[in-house]
Amino acid sequence: MAEFEPKIVAFCCNWCSYAGADGAGVARMQMPTNFRIIRTMCSARVDPEHVLRAFSKGADGVLVLGCHPADCHYIGGNYRARRRIALLRMVLEQYGFDPKRMKLEWVSASEGEKFQKTVIEFVDTIKALGPNPVCSKEA
Amino acid sequence: MSWFSDWKEKRAKKKAEKAATAAAAPAKKEAAASSAPAAAKGAKAPEFIADSPIDGYVPGLGAPPGGKINIAIYWAAACGGCDVSLLDTDEKVLNIGDMSNILMWPIATDGKEKDIEALEDGEITVAMINGAIRNSENEHMARLLRKKSQILVSYGACACLGGTPALANLVPGGVNEIKDYVYGVTPTSANFIADGGRKLEDVMPRPEYNAPEGTLTLPVLYDTVKTVDQVVDVDYYIPGCPPTQKSIAALLDALVGFVYRGEALPPKGTTVGVIPKSLCEECHRHKENRRITEVFEPHEVLNIDHDLCLLDQGILCLGAGTIAGCGAPCTKADQPCRGCYGPPKPVSEQGSSIFTAIASLFPIEANDAKMNEDDMDDIMSVIKDPLGYFYAFSMSKSLIKRAVNEGGQ
Repeated sequence: MAEFEPKIVAFCCNWCSYAGADGAGVARMQMPTNFRIIRTMCSARVDPEHVLRAFSKGADGVLVLGCHPADCHYIGGNYRARRRIALLRMVLEQYGFDPKRMKLEWVSASEGEKFQKTVIEFVDTIKALGPNPVCSKEA
Repeated sequence: MSWFSDWKEKRAKKKAEKAATAAAAPAKKEAAASSAPAAAKGAKAPEFIADSPIDGYVPGLGAPPGGKINIAIYWAAACGGCDVSLLDTDEKVLNIGDMSNILMWPIATDGKEKDIEALEDGEITVAMINGAIRNSENEHMARLLRKKSQILVSYGACACLGGTPALANLVPGGVNEIKDYVYGVTPTSANFIADGGRKLEDVMPRPEYNAPEGTLTLPVLYDTVKTVDQVVDVDYYIPGCPPTQKSIAALLDALVGFVYRGEALPPKGTTVGVIPKSLCEECHRHKENRRITEVFEPHEVLNIDHDLCLLDQGILCLGAGTIAGCGAPCTKADQPCRGCYGPPKPVSEQGSSIFTAIASLFPIEANDAKMNEDDMDDIMSVIKDPLGYFYAFSMSKSLIKRAVNEGGQ
């Protein structure tokens, strides 16, 4: 059997992480290609429903990337986001998911390197965890 | 306060009116009993209608021109409250008697499955199913009633959203874990097994049992509790735990119009008795957008402000993510909304939309920028059991639907 290649959805804030991902690409940094980026205007735009929908449709992991605290384009969006994500993490744990399947990370526009590092680490984590339990249940 | 005084006033008014009508017509009881002719003549019936929160009994309706219609009501996995709630319509329930033969109504009449099976397809005009689909019998009856009826109504929070029975979906081991616990671990079962020197297999229910007279069967419990519309095609939804008088009256009025005057029914898929806004629009409380750092159960707050938003007072109210239409009776009684009416129309995931809103009520700390995600977990852990609380009614309609097992067991 071929090695398990996880599918990862990455929500990137338009103002920093998306630009950071862009920077990583322009600098030709090497990283796994398991992730699909969805650009959002702010990490607070990521409704927990989006994350749950990603899991219910078979994503093996979800990354939420936003501006560093005190650095939000909309002043307080990331503070809201981190509280929501904390609650969502509790909900996912109650469902039986490993909370490591969802990660919130702060990546600024200049941090291509951090983006690369985050993706590499997250893909390793998900590979260790195995496929999404929602999917394996149906199969 | 305002609600309480309103209620008191109304109550006093009702009492006074009752006394007045009693004085004016000493034979009130008689008149009520032979309602149809008396109401046609006298002024009593219209008076009653004006006072009643719903339209009230339409007197002298008699049997419909095309003969009485057939109605069937069935309870699946439900507490029985929905079945009883039909009687909340007070005297309007008499219209049901005028209009229809009740073929099945577990709490009130003696209808049998074989009677329903003997009917032609479509012979029942309206079938109402309350309760979630928990076992094979529920599913069988839902399919049977769908086959035999023209209109199928999904009645109540459990039928529409899964309700409380659907919280069983969160037991990771599914049905086997539940059965092992109920028949082996609970003190009454454990003592029963220990005292009689029995084994677990002796008390565990078997779906099939070969008796000398033949094979006896029991329905099989499902791992995942479903809503009615996840099993059969549903025409109308009436949410609520239980549905309010107003919703039932709205359905009855539509039916009366359809049966007696051939009026068109609402389009298929209509949710009866809701207003497409969030419950906050209906709630009388005002909001000050206070920030909260602690949450309370209603009984933990000594002096609940009757006019201030419950969320401002730290009581987790689900109104912001719940569709309006019930008239907010819970918040009027100082209890938080629990979300039994389901999400407002564009929202599919009720629980997550509410906790998104509630998470935003937590204030930003001065040193927030220096905190890490573990600190956030500490801050938010004042909310205990978020999944059970925010998804109390909508588990079957949620995106994930049931507990998952990491490792693909």
